[in-house]
Amino acid sequence: MEFICDKNILSDGINTAQKAVMPKAALQILEGILIKAENSLTITGNSLEIGIVSNVEAEIVKTGSIVVNSRIFGEIIRKLPEGNVKIQVDELNNVIIECKNSHFKIKGIDSSGYPEIPEVEQDNKIVLTQNVLREMIKHTLFSVSIDDNRPVLTGVLIESESNRITFVAIDGFRMALRNFFSDQNYPEFSVIVPAKTLSEISKIIQPTDENIEIYVSKSQILFSTNNCKLVSKLIEGEFINYKNLLPEKFESNISIDRTELLSSIERVSLITSDGRRNPVKFDIKRNNLTLTTNTEIGNVREDIEIEVDGEKLSLGFNPKYFIDCLRVIEEEKITISFSSEIGPSIIKSGIDEYIYLILPIKIR
Amino acid sequence: MTRTIMHIDVNSAFLSWTAVHMLQHGSSIDLRNIPSIIGGNQATRHGIVLAKSIPAKGFKIQTGEPVFQAKQKCPNLVVMPPDYFLYMQCSSALSEILQNYSDKIQLFSIDECFLDYTGIEKILGEPIKVANQIREQIRKELGFTVNIGISTNKLLAKMAGDLKKPDMTHTIYPEEISAKMWPLPVEDLYMVGRATAPKLKGMGIHTIGDLANTDIELLKYKFKSWGLMLHAYANGIDESPVHPGSGHTVIKGIGNSTTVYFDVIDKQTAYKVLLSLVETVSMRLRFSGFCCSVVAVSLKTDELISSSHQKKLMTPIDCTNAVFKEVKSLFDEMWRGQPIRQMGIRVSDLYTKDYIQLSFFEENWDKQRRLDKTIDEIRIKYGSNAVIRSSFLWSGLSPLEGGVVDEFPVMSSIL
Repeated sequence: MEFICDKNILSDGINTAQKAVMPKAALQILEGILIKAENSLTITGNSLEIGIVSNVEAEIVKTGSIVVNSRIFGEIIRKLPEGNVKIQVDELNNVIIECKNSHFKIKGIDSSGYPEIPEVEQDNKIVLTQNVLREMIKHTLFSVSIDDNRPVLTGVLIESESNRITFVAIDGFRMALRNFFSDQNYPEFSVIVPAKTLSEISKIIQPTDENIEIYVSKSQILFSTNNCKLVSKLIEGEFINYKNLLPEKFESNISIDRTELLSSIERVSLITSDGRRNPVKFDIKRNNLTLTTNTEIGNVREDIEIEVDGEKLSLGFNPKYFIDCLRVIEEEKITISFSSEIGPSIIKSGIDEYIYLILPIKIR
Repeated sequence: MTRTIMHIDVNSAFLSWTAVHMLQHGSSIDLRNIPSIIGGNQATRHGIVLAKSIPAKGFKIQTGEPVFQAKQKCPNLVVMPPDYFLYMQCSSALSEILQNYSDKIQLFSIDECFLDYTGIEKILGEPIKVANQIREQIRKELGFTVNIGISTNKLLAKMAGDLKKPDMTHTIYPEEISAKMWPLPVEDLYMVGRATAPKLKGMGIHTIGDLANTDIELLKYKFKSWGLMLHAYANGIDESPVHPGSGHTVIKGIGNSTTVYFDVIDKQTAYKVLLSLVETVSMRLRFSGFCCSVVAVSLKTDELISSSHQKKLMTPIDCTNAVFKEVKSLFDEMWRGQPIRQMGIRVSDLYTKDYIQLSFFEENWDKQRRLDKTIDEIRIKYGSNAVIRSSFLWSGLSPLEGGVVDEFPVMSSIL
């Protein structure tokens, strides 16, 4: 195998494929990336959960393939001087890297043992802009559970139906839901995608109007852009019927300035190291929301002017849950509906673009 | 202002308490009058002397030595097993009596308390007279004896309480330090332990008096800030207040481990041993008023290789069955079939019960909570084995494991 490639282009390609590589994999070969020079140059990373193939522009002199340690190869290429890099593999699987005055010869691994990335049937296809997908992920991923006891909750539910795509994440204490409405019709499916997959894809895609194609099969999902392909396993199992979690009646609805509330909660949480131990108390009175908290460090009170429709109410929350969703919401005037001291509260946009649901902390 | 502090120390606590308990249950023998010890069962590999009677002391039996060694010294020695639930009851009965004499009582360990008597002289009378009264009341009502030390601070009161036992009142007021405390060997000073005493002796410091008169700079050079503290203690200086209601600093975690008397090679037996540990640990957790959100399991194999796994929980818990569920899953995750010699569990990252983060899937532990509460109350009232799980019947295993002796100074459950 032999090819010539610009150092920065090669480095970017490695960087993308590397996102699938586990730093400490069970098999040595999985700590490597597969470099394949055929009609074009591709670099593959594979953790068996996620596989990423990135296409790299290169001049191929001689076809072939090799597996190299991802971290070492990546570091070498990254630190090379600017310019073209020549990569060759000899008959003993040694990889020779040459760039200006640098000459490396590192050991490679025969590529025949490298696991194939599964093919995903291209039946269920949706197309979004990279920007929309990024936003959908950003608005929901923070609510994913880290508790392995309920594997389905460690992923995001992606539901597609008629002209709507919905992302839902629930960690047991809160829910984040984001809708995207299109003028086209989508195939109907519902899958659970691991949080890691979405976090990696959102690092790969750019905030542009360029398209990304998503294909869904029974056990795999494929994200495909012009220069890369990401295949991931889906999480098996039944997601929670999230529609049942939404309360029907609310004791109180308030209308509030988002930035003002966010800044207040951020200030209040300065003296709470753990929101589970030290909840922020919300006191809703006529035209006023008072936030207070008491910790061993001290106490704090914040008053915010609001519009109230409903009853006086007093309840506690983990401030982190509010901060997480207030940071991603773009609207400046928001409505928060409180069902009761022990029932869920929701923040929701008028056009159903998003719903954030938060369970309170019961104060004894 | 000059303070008046009393130190109340139960004489041979574990032994006296077991002895009193046996007498109350119709025993004709008073353990305190015969050579006897409280000790672990040596067949189960935890055989050390936890407490000894005064006649046993005559055979030069020492606390902490193996039971078999003690038996060699005295073949007729009576060995009784410890009953930590009884000890907890006795300890709280003691502090209940003391509460009649002051509102400032600090439980220092399961068998020791400090009582701040400052200002109460005017109401109840002279400290020595009242101390004798307290001793008598404890002897009459609870059946065991205590030593009471009186002075102007906690250190001197404790030193006084340790002077001559049993059932005595002593004072070491500042003016008595040189006569009563300084002649004592240096290892008798509070905080001088097995590590410090030989170092001091190597410096020619043999008595507390020697230490008190050693150049403070030399002690500082040798022991850093520890040296300053030793010098202050030897001179009877201690400003620390009596902390009512707390003998401990903040509890960070509660744990327990047990060495099994045979090597455990099957899962069901391992589960049972773990369950016996969970029973005591979760009970102590409940008594401390906390819920835990980290559960850890540790194992030691027959080749003495230790390992441990822990898990962070989304919702803090305090139910026996809830803790056991996590313990089982941790055990399954880590055990590869090696014979196990020792098992331990620990709960930490404690949360108060004042705030409960509601969850979509909170398992409903309410019923379990009520059951735990009832069982706890029965065990406190009628002893630890009054209610046990039937799975332990004929298993040869103890239904509740716990309360390892070196853990006692921080035993949270009595507080």
